Amino acid sequence: MRVRWLAVLSCLVGVFALGLAACGDDDDSGGSSSGGDISGNELTIYSSLPLQGTSKGQSEAVINGEKLALKEVGGKVGKYTIKYVSLDDSTAQNPGTADEGQTAQNARKAVQDENTIFYLGEFNSGGTKVSLPILNKANIPQISPSNTYVGLTTNDPGSEPGEPDKYYPAQKRTYARIVPTDTIQGAALATIMKEDGCTSVNIFNDKTTYGAGLAKNVEQSAKDEGLTVKGNDGTDKNAPNYRSLAAKITADCFVGSGVTGENYVQVFKDVAAACPDCKLYGPDGVAEAAFTDPKQGGIPADVGARTKVTVATLSPSEFEKQGISAAVKFFDDFKAEYGVAQPDPYAIYGFETMDLALDTLKAVGDKANDREAVRNQLLTKTKGRESVLGTYDIDQNGDTTLTDYGLYDIKNGQLEFVKAIKVGGG
Amino acid sequence: MEAAGIPAGQALKPRRSEVVSEFISKYGLIAILIAFPAYYGIQDLIDDGNLTRIGNNLADGLSNGAIWALVALGYTLVYGIIELINFAHGEIFMIGAFTSFALWAPLGLNPDTGTVALVLGLLVTLIAAMLVSGSLNVMIERVGYRPLRGAPKLAPLITAVGFSFILQNVGILWLGASQRGVPDLIESQKELVNIVGISLSRGDLLAFAVTVPLVLLLTTFVGQSRLGKAMRATAQDPEAAKLMGINVDTTISLTFLLGGLLAGAAGLINTLYQTNVWYFQGFTAGLIAFTAAVMGGIGNLRGAVLGGLIIGCIQQISDNRIGNEWTPAVIFAYLVLIMVFRPQGLIGEETREAG
Repeated sequence: MRVRWLAVLSCLVGVFALGLAACGDDDDSGGSSSGGDISGNELTIYSSLPLQGTSKGQSEAVINGEKLALKEVGGKVGKYTIKYVSLDDSTAQNPGTADEGQTAQNARKAVQDENTIFYLGEFNSGGTKVSLPILNKANIPQISPSNTYVGLTTNDPGSEPGEPDKYYPAQKRTYARIVPTDTIQGAALATIMKEDGCTSVNIFNDKTTYGAGLAKNVEQSAKDEGLTVKGNDGTDKNAPNYRSLAAKITADCFVGSGVTGENYVQVFKDVAAACPDCKLYGPDGVAEAAFTDPKQGGIPADVGARTKVTVATLSPSEFEKQGISAAVKFFDDFKAEYGVAQPDPYAIYGFETMDLALDTLKAVGDKANDREAVRNQLLTKTKGRESVLGTYDIDQNGDTTLTDYGLYDIKNGQLEFVKAIKVGGG
Repeated sequence: MEAAGIPAGQALKPRRSEVVSEFISKYGLIAILIAFPAYYGIQDLIDDGNLTRIGNNLADGLSNGAIWALVALGYTLVYGIIELINFAHGEIFMIGAFTSFALWAPLGLNPDTGTVALVLGLLVTLIAAMLVSGSLNVMIERVGYRPLRGAPKLAPLITAVGFSFILQNVGILWLGASQRGVPDLIESQKELVNIVGISLSRGDLLAFAVTVPLVLLLTTFVGQSRLGKAMRATAQDPEAAKLMGINVDTTISLTFLLGGLLAGAAGLINTLYQTNVWYFQGFTAGLIAFTAAVMGGIGNLRGAVLGGLIIGCIQQISDNRIGNEWTPAVIFAYLVLIMVFRPQGLIGEETREAG
């Protein structure tokens, strides 16, 4: 009898332990997954960007923008003090882009920190594919300053099967971005090629989430514009050169849909040599000094002179022309803070990322320590927001309603704003 | 190395299956090698009515392959003499490339430098890169491999992998971990001559102009000089070579020196030809060059050169016809096929181990 009683007791203890373990699992993956309040008056905002390699300049500009926005509110929102933590999602061996392992580690670090209220990043869409599901399970609101890949938020053309649902295991949206998607960038590139008199286009993509996705969007938009797409070829980062691949280009225009860190300086050099009359176009993935400046290992000046780049930001004068006074103030403040009058195009996105996060916290008042309240505010109530980028909404998918893209030339190793490209659609 | 041979055994009448196997090995291999360019050549004839495109692919392939051949020689030399796959050899090549690039600025070499100054400057760079890579290779042999001469084969192999990673990290510390474009000193892709539509660039000429004399020098040295004979004797039987008064350790060091010198030269040519440097370039090039050495018959100098040229051609044809992203798969598929038909490689070599 005693033995039977002990057995029953052991079973009960076992069941209880299993229950605890299961609860423990939830906690591990979800942190404050219930959206419960963060105790105390300190909230942490994490930033995760590639701080090594070719994207270092862009990332530093984003960070400077974020810090400026935080400084402007005195590092506080209501009764809460904001702690800013900058993380590096690249590694020495895999610089210039988000390293998957490191990115996952960064996201887990944010999840394990009970004070985390926002996660700003990643810079690369491929990185967000890794961090988003981890943060989503923990109900941590995330804002990217630069992701353009379509599949992160919608299943529109350019996305892969299963997207975007697979990034939201909690079955609710926690992610927003302030840059127009590649649907818009693809259309912007196609629009400008058409304006430049292109009749056909060859596309190379770097096979990353961003590059391959954007290439699909360019392909579709180019067809819509009546251009003949002669090819869309993937490139291998480790290839010694791309001469023979470039030799197959038969179009009069070329789009290199990739990032500098995927050997796109070499791609553009080889394409320029193989196709001396081609017009060359690059996306925001190459809008950085490591690509534009020969002194920093970028493309030679003669190739730069033939290359146009699209970035989802405008020049200070264009912002002024459009009457966006907040942007004008931003550039003045940025110059006063860092002594740079013409910051990297991503600086303003860094500022807006943080500013959006802070305004969201402000809007929920005392509930700024409640992840669910903050998430809800960000994704359902960001409407008609007047920002440094202009007035926009965050739609139900987490995308911005902004559509302007800037067209840039490369002069003296630097990006020089040419004009704004107005693109409709989504 | 090529001096190694097998004593002929009692000749037996081969069985029919062996005859068929031998036939397939010999002619099947030739068919495989020809199939790729032949297929696309015929396609070009049908589509364009000429062979210009495949001709350009092969010209690019041969110049690229010439660089791989120089690196492959280093692998094959070392394997031939101590049967070690020197995994750090690719990184020796990378250090040669980095050394070359590092010297350009102090020597005042830039795209505006005059021809005479450029040639002289590049000559100095070539010698420096060869010396640095050669010395480094000898040092690695002395520090890492010589103490393990009698150890199980896995020990020096792992040591080689270790040196490979160490040198990669030296590369990261030196120039960072991103690919870095370098000034195009020779206007590498500028057309020099056009023969019936087949374009040869300055880079192509440079690759041949440096590789061909170096390969001839090396083969003459190994084949005819006293030290070369010592190398061959050591490759064949180190113990017997020792008994004959050959200093085996010095001979092995000499082999590493030669391999390193060639890798240094390849480093400079590669930098001028590709106009970029990267800490990982040695790993990639090493993999290709090692494949070339195996394809040609590891331990065989001519085989390494042939393997390098073949891989160069496959690479360029694949890049142009199939797609750059599939090229590594195509190269290794080729390697697998060649190994299936001819495990000893194209020219083959009976090493001590095999023979």
